[in-house]
Amino acid sequence: MLEIKEVSKVYGQGEGSVVALDNVSFDVDKGEYVALMGHSGSGKSTLLNIIGGLDRLSVGSIVLDGQRLDNLDESELVRIRRDKISYVFQQYHLLPSLSALENVLLPLTFRGVDRNGRAMELLEKMGLGKRATHRPSQLSGGEQQRVAIARALVNDPLLTLADEPTGNMDQKTGSEILDLFDQLNAEGRTIIMVTHNPDAAKRAHKVIVLRDGRVVDCIVN
Amino acid sequence: MKLHQVVLKDVVRRKKRVLYATVGVVIASMTVVGILTIALAGRARIYSQLEKYGANLSLLPATKSLDTGLGDLTLGSVTVGENYIQEDKLPQIRQITDGEIRRALKVEDAGDIATIAPQLLVQADVKSASVILAGIDPVAESKIKSWWQVAKGKYLDGPDQALVGSTAAELLNMSVGDAFEVKGQNLTVVGVLGETGSGDDYRIFVPLKAVQTAFDKQGLLSTVDIRALCNACPVEIIADAINKEIPGIRAVAVKQVAATEMGMLDKINKLMMALGGITLLVGGFGVVNTLMTSVHERIRDIGIMKAVGASRRQIIVAFIYEAILIGIIGGVLGYGAGTLLAYIIGPLIFEGSTVSFVAVYLPISIALAVVIAVVATLYPAYHATKIRIADCFRAV
Repeated sequence: MLEIKEVSKVYGQGEGSVVALDNVSFDVDKGEYVALMGHSGSGKSTLLNIIGGLDRLSVGSIVLDGQRLDNLDESELVRIRRDKISYVFQQYHLLPSLSALENVLLPLTFRGVDRNGRAMELLEKMGLGKRATHRPSQLSGGEQQRVAIARALVNDPLLTLADEPTGNMDQKTGSEILDLFDQLNAEGRTIIMVTHNPDAAKRAHKVIVLRDGRVVDCIVN
Repeated sequence: MKLHQVVLKDVVRRKKRVLYATVGVVIASMTVVGILTIALAGRARIYSQLEKYGANLSLLPATKSLDTGLGDLTLGSVTVGENYIQEDKLPQIRQITDGEIRRALKVEDAGDIATIAPQLLVQADVKSASVILAGIDPVAESKIKSWWQVAKGKYLDGPDQALVGSTAAELLNMSVGDAFEVKGQNLTVVGVLGETGSGDDYRIFVPLKAVQTAFDKQGLLSTVDIRALCNACPVEIIADAINKEIPGIRAVAVKQVAATEMGMLDKINKLMMALGGITLLVGGFGVVNTLMTSVHERIRDIGIMKAVGASRRQIIVAFIYEAILIGIIGGVLGYGAGTLLAYIIGPLIFEGSTVSFVAVYLPISIALAVVIAVVATLYPAYHATKIRIADCFRAV
């Protein structure tokens, strides 16, 4: 479903340039759960951003569901972000002025559709039915991340990308979040997760290890 | 949930910041509203002064020799000697004046419209002093000189009566009831005028017929003052028509004299508008600056919105919604502050002017403020859409 072919990313030009990704290639099948691991600066977050259309690659190609993403213009990328790819961030990235429910509704707002029921259903699934009107500042880290996961699912995407979703949590809360991802994957969702957490890596079908922008290992669990 | 609701919630959360951003807009609309309000008060003041001058038109014999004036305005000269306006021209003068007013205002009224006040000025020896005796039509004169106040006694209401100007009464030691003789005509002082601050203070007013008879000047007039009933009356056209059709008469439109003052007001207006324009520009830059800062403060939120599917257009629209809100708040505050400014500064510029709330400036102020805020938002908004999502989060 997702093909990453010889992707490189170089920041800057000339002598001061930094190679963040160097000739990275791998495939992800539909319903697969992939963990990207590596030290800080290994390029895993950059790779995730490029897959999600949040950043541009320098060389290579990315094909999702038969469509090349790397050469799309901004408006086509907007459509991809609305319909096919969703993101879960380490810092949750919820809008502080909106309630939990409104944050989940945000992607629908930009699509111009109103589906309160779907958003509420997802919040309930995340165990936050009673916290729907709370602002992010009134929620714990784990709760905020669940809201962010609900937001990532509201448009029913083909692919969900998660950038260290448990990075800011204690082990127990992190484990609960990982259980949620397991559950989503069991429901058939395709997930790529950047993580430092060995527990997360064990849960994934496939672990891709990056070092200095290169794939150095691919472990199939 | 609609986009404007998202913006509104965000604005409520950042209300202090948003109010700070409105300061530039408030200053800009305050200046413009202040200038407009002061200018309006100044115009009203000049109109009321025009009313006070009395006549809209002054008719003089074509020859000059003796200076005269009305109020503070010098209206040229009259000849107290050989040259006069013939009294039998009055019906023609009325016909021209009323005819032009009817034409200008499109009225059919058959009655008299303008007030026409003839005067005969003569130099007379009264109590061995030389004074100007003014023969007047008491009814018409009182209409034209609405500011006249009888300080003692009463106004003229019969023949052989005299109304004495305040200074003349003092100098000649005259009071109500005194009798005096001019060229064999016995006159009685029935009233003393309050001080007017004009040449009238030095004169003695007597019914026209009495002066004409005593000085053997039947059918002769020195001046004719005409007061049309409105500020919009075509006094210049009337003056032109009289000058053309009645030889020997020079018609001066008082408005022509006042036009100088109006011209000055227009110049002041232009200067103030230029200042207002500069303030608008500075205010606009202030708003751009604040909004640029606001973009940087909200770079993470912009990144989030883009990451969950906001298009560039939607980000710009969100900024425009916020600008409209800033404009509305700024326009209302600017209107209040501008009116207050006019209250304080207006009377200093146009002495004696009364500044009042001008309701129609409120929507103007709001519209102006919204335009400034929206224009000032466009660049920061465009800038915001250019930021890569990954960079939005990296900056945090």
